[in-house]
Amino acid sequence: MSADDAEDASGSRSIPEWSESAASRIITASAKERIFISFAAFVASILVGSVLVYLSGLVVACEGTSLFFGSCYDPFQVYYYLFVDPFIGGFNVALVMKEAVLLLFTGLSVAVAFRAGLFNIGSQGQLVVGGLASALAVLFTAPLAPGGVAGTLVLVPLALVVGATFGGVFAAIPGALKAYADANEVITTIMLNFVAANLAFFLVGTYFQDPNSGSVETRSIPAYSQLEPILPFFEGAPFSVVALVLGLGLVGGLYYLLANTAFGYDLRTSGVQPAAADYGGVAAKRLVVSSMTLSGALAGIGGAVYVLMVMGRYRTGVPALGFDGITVSILAGNNPLGVVPSALLFGVMKAGSLSIDFSLGVPKQLVGVLRGLVILFVAMPEFFRMLARYTSFGPDERTVAADGGDGDA
Amino acid sequence: MSSLAVHLDGITKRFPGVVANDDVDLRVEEGSVHALLGENGAGKTTLMNVLYGLYQPTEGTVRLNDEVMDFGSPRDAIDAGVGMIHQHFMLVDPMTVTENVVLGNEPRKWGGLAVDRAASRRAVVDLAETFGFDVEPDAAIEDVSVGEQQRVEILKALYRGADVLILDEPTAVLTPQEVEELFGVFEELTAQGKTIIFISHKLDEAMRAADDITVLRDGVNVGTVDADTTSREELAELMVGREVLLSTDKEPVERGDPGLSVSNLTVRDDRDVVAVDDLSFDVHEGEVFGIAGVDGNGQSELVEAITGLHATEAGSVGIEGEDVTDESRRKRIARGMAYIPEDRQDRGLVMDYDLVENGLLGKQHDPAFAPNGRIDWEETYEHTADVIREYDVRPADPSASARSLSGGNQQKFIVGREFSQDPDVVVASHPTRGVDIGSVEFIHDRILDLRARGKAVLLVSSKLDEVQSLSDRLAVIHDGEFVDVVDPAATTEEELGLLMGGERPDDVATLRAGGDVA
Repeated sequence: MSADDAEDASGSRSIPEWSESAASRIITASAKERIFISFAAFVASILVGSVLVYLSGLVVACEGTSLFFGSCYDPFQVYYYLFVDPFIGGFNVALVMKEAVLLLFTGLSVAVAFRAGLFNIGSQGQLVVGGLASALAVLFTAPLAPGGVAGTLVLVPLALVVGATFGGVFAAIPGALKAYADANEVITTIMLNFVAANLAFFLVGTYFQDPNSGSVETRSIPAYSQLEPILPFFEGAPFSVVALVLGLGLVGGLYYLLANTAFGYDLRTSGVQPAAADYGGVAAKRLVVSSMTLSGALAGIGGAVYVLMVMGRYRTGVPALGFDGITVSILAGNNPLGVVPSALLFGVMKAGSLSIDFSLGVPKQLVGVLRGLVILFVAMPEFFRMLARYTSFGPDERTVAADGGDGDA
Repeated sequence: MSSLAVHLDGITKRFPGVVANDDVDLRVEEGSVHALLGENGAGKTTLMNVLYGLYQPTEGTVRLNDEVMDFGSPRDAIDAGVGMIHQHFMLVDPMTVTENVVLGNEPRKWGGLAVDRAASRRAVVDLAETFGFDVEPDAAIEDVSVGEQQRVEILKALYRGADVLILDEPTAVLTPQEVEELFGVFEELTAQGKTIIFISHKLDEAMRAADDITVLRDGVNVGTVDADTTSREELAELMVGREVLLSTDKEPVERGDPGLSVSNLTVRDDRDVVAVDDLSFDVHEGEVFGIAGVDGNGQSELVEAITGLHATEAGSVGIEGEDVTDESRRKRIARGMAYIPEDRQDRGLVMDYDLVENGLLGKQHDPAFAPNGRIDWEETYEHTADVIREYDVRPADPSASARSLSGGNQQKFIVGREFSQDPDVVVASHPTRGVDIGSVEFIHDRILDLRARGKAVLLVSSKLDEVQSLSDRLAVIHDGEFVDVVDPAATTEEELGLLMGGERPDDVATLRAGGDVA
């Protein structure tokens, strides 16, 4: 019987040794290894995607001749347009940068909350509130402000400050609810997204509607209060170098804040080990509110930039920048510096899928699948790392830590 | 003599840097109740996790009814008739008692497609009747008492055919009445041939409910005794041990003003039970005030209330005459209160940070380290390197992660960090737990050094020799109250053992008067 038992025992071990070690290697990887893992995952996603493109091309009927070994879609061409074409020509690059810059703000917003151990799913709502508030602030202040360059210098900073303030306050609500009423921030931030979108729709539709427009949107803000491309290279594109500089400035600032300030130390410590943060004198409740406020302010600035740089007004139906920010942040390992390449990758793929749409007969949905594959492959290792923090799948030492606490009662 | 239901033979369980169990033998007779007694971190839970298949032993064998077992997972252990009831119940709150009991092994009907609810209910009712359990099969778990939830957990194990039941600190979550009920359940179970092993650190409970008691200390089995013939005193001694009495040269220090004053302090624990009951005491400058007691008698709550990590129900805490009851932890740190927490891996260190970042913990708002909120990393590095050098932390590498250090080195680092900033008041909770003997001496010297420099030191420990040799005055805590405050030099370990068990001082005095204690 005991022999049988032994066999049963080995048979019932659900996780094979090799996968366990691979998993723990991903979890304990150093920064350099993580970059390598991300790159390998990126290449793997392209290989898998190519097969998918090729196979899809086999089953559809082409107009004209087959392009690639009997398939209607050429994987090389598809990936060329997805990743290379966006870098050709000023307008294309500007499209990439526009998307990337907007995602810098929401990516940072989500990242800062993550680092504090908070899941801010509400960057979208905070962006909407910040965007609307900044558009209205500009519309109402413009008549009082000077025109021309002086107007730009007054109105743009004003819009950014108002966007940050309103986004921040809107995020402080779920922060306070979590700190003082123990309400799960995931639920409250998700719900507040709907509140924000519908509130904006109501306010714009009822009070601030542009009478000359069929869609629900405010009047245009004056041209001198909009962010212009500045560099002739980007002429005509909804992208401004100013916004890029602002975004990169915030990346650097936030990195410095987390790494080198007492507040950043408190925030990070609360994120990795709340009990130790309490011990170290961090006021947990205040920190939840302040880090949510910071997170919301970043999203709110994103909203303001969206208004100033892209739309020139507030229009309902804001794209899902806040939600993409979640993926951008995870892809970046919630590191402010990592948000830059991560947002850039998103921008490239966004612009790339547009050019595929223009140039190739490949359906949008298939391109969506390819983008999804890239994100899935690249984000997965990071996702597992995050998961390992919260579950028992971590490396062995965690068991000891858990065991050391066995006598808590 | 009946046969052995469980025989753990030479179990050693090592984790990286820690030996949780060291060559432990455990023999449990069939149909008996066996208590596994020991301080926190003595290795009780680890040993039971080995028996339950959660851990595989590094060395040694597990035998059930004389057959060698090789458990790869709890599934194997359950199949072999071992059931474990964890301290935190694993029940689905909105589901009924019946559903919880059968969960995962539901009786089926329609060729296995549907759960046979009638059969499930019948099985649970039958089982409850067999063992005389009082459970309501159709009630939702969230609506029944904690005691009943525990019985449901036991039923769950029995339903899966358990003959050996392991209960991890089963009384920790129960009210005194529920504890009585639980012990009644033990009797029913053993009457029907089941074997019970329960983990505890409470002497009284072990003596009341168990037939045999095995005491673990620092991962070693220090003795198995018969519950009927043992005494509290003997158990307390086994648990806390009598290590080599350290020769601590305590020079007389003039006692100054009260550095830390606690008056009428009442604290409730997380279960809302009064854990610290109207305690008052002063710790003077140049004094070590010791608090001895068996773990779980309110020490943790007392210490956390003093240090600002736990809300107080009533009473006040003062530092050098100033009331700090309503002040935050951060303010108390700024006022010069150093704190060595009992749980170093949870509170004292951020395991993912390196030592430099850990050197900053608690000092991140100190202008010396973070002027204007900006961290001076160079200063922090220097400070950390000093602590490492002075307290002989190994590896002597400030960039090593806290996780990579052994428990003893982690502790030395915390002690060094907390003592280095010239604190006025020191609260040390189990400062030498899990630390090797050489470091123990070193830490003791540092504590006496603080005393000599006129600091007020509150020392909480369950090691008798430690509190006895370091303290100027020694309070014995039991059930949230001081049983007595004694002069440690004039009190024997036997007397302390009795006081720790909750005997009133008068009885102890009688005993003392009655002559030699056996």
